[in-house]
Amino acid sequence: MSAQITELIDKQDTAEIVRDQIASILRVELSNQETLADDANKDPRLWKLRIFSERANAWEQYLGAPDQDTDDATPLVNVAFDRDAFDEKRSDIFERQATRATFHLDCYGYGQSADDGGSGHVAGDGKAALEAQRTMRLVRNVLMSAHYRYLGMRGTVWRRWPVSRQMFRPRLEDKPIQNIVGARLSLEVDFSEFSPQFTPTTLEYLSVTFKRESDGQVLLTTDYDFS
Amino acid sequence: MSLRDQAAADAKRILEDSAAGFGWPITVTAPDGSSASLKGFSTDVAQTIDPDTGMTVSGRTASVTLPIKALTDAGLALPRGIADQASKPWRVTFDDIHGTSHEFKVAESMPDRALGVVLCMLEAYKT
Repeated sequence: MSAQITELIDKQDTAEIVRDQIASILRVELSNQETLADDANKDPRLWKLRIFSERANAWEQYLGAPDQDTDDATPLVNVAFDRDAFDEKRSDIFERQATRATFHLDCYGYGQSADDGGSGHVAGDGKAALEAQRTMRLVRNVLMSAHYRYLGMRGTVWRRWPVSRQMFRPRLEDKPIQNIVGARLSLEVDFSEFSPQFTPTTLEYLSVTFKRESDGQVLLTTDYDFS
Repeated sequence: MSLRDQAAADAKRILEDSAAGFGWPITVTAPDGSSASLKGFSTDVAQTIDPDTGMTVSGRTASVTLPIKALTDAGLALPRGIADQASKPWRVTFDDIHGTSHEFKVAESMPDRALGVVLCMLEAYKT
């Protein structure tokens, strides 16, 4: 059997492009939010997030239990493609297959227990949960804003929808010294995937004219270019 | 001496043996500010944990194990996690092997009244 595909498959699938687009949108918009916060005389660190794509252990920066006001304590977002399901009714078997994909936006918040300077203390577990939820709030607001109705890919993306929000906490028996809480926003995106096609070869040019007679009869006139 | 008494005595001796055993100087501070310098067993290690997101990630856990008798002799109660943010937590301080001091908050305690020891799970704390 010989190879039939004569062109190098050197492209990204739409799912990969959409995943990278989501990460790019978050990076650009949240950097701008930091600037806007600064202009509004608010603490820009509250809008600062670190964006990762397809990372399994992005929160390694929390390992040393950094102080809450350092860069290493910045909340994280990991954008990951989870799964998709192709829709046969909206697809053809040749070129285009419509699909509905789910992307996970895992937001990690870190909280350090600390003296409050008075008679009490700040509880790190509660702080971490609030940080994770604040991060998820920013992510959802950016991606569901009217400006990104099609995630900046109109014509490719038809729909994006936040399916669910879910909180994650490390298992109790592990009890890490860092308080880290995860929040997952699951985002559904509809788009099409494409695949290599035959390269068309022109056999013959045809000129066709359709005419409808007064009695409703349809007539067809063609011109052939004989050579 | 019963076997249980013997086991309790052994546990205390092992935990407090800083000359030939794993005993290590540990300072325990109660919410009211009273503190005591004790000897016990301390750990501070990194390990993988599962945050339930479907993947394991790095985490760091720390704990101390102290003889209950040493705590009571020092006038301290059993350490425990303090959820009320209006109060100070139980705090534990000990050096790592390089002499750098680390301060922790007691997140959870598991006393073993059969052997007379208490295991405290710790989390990082900044003063």
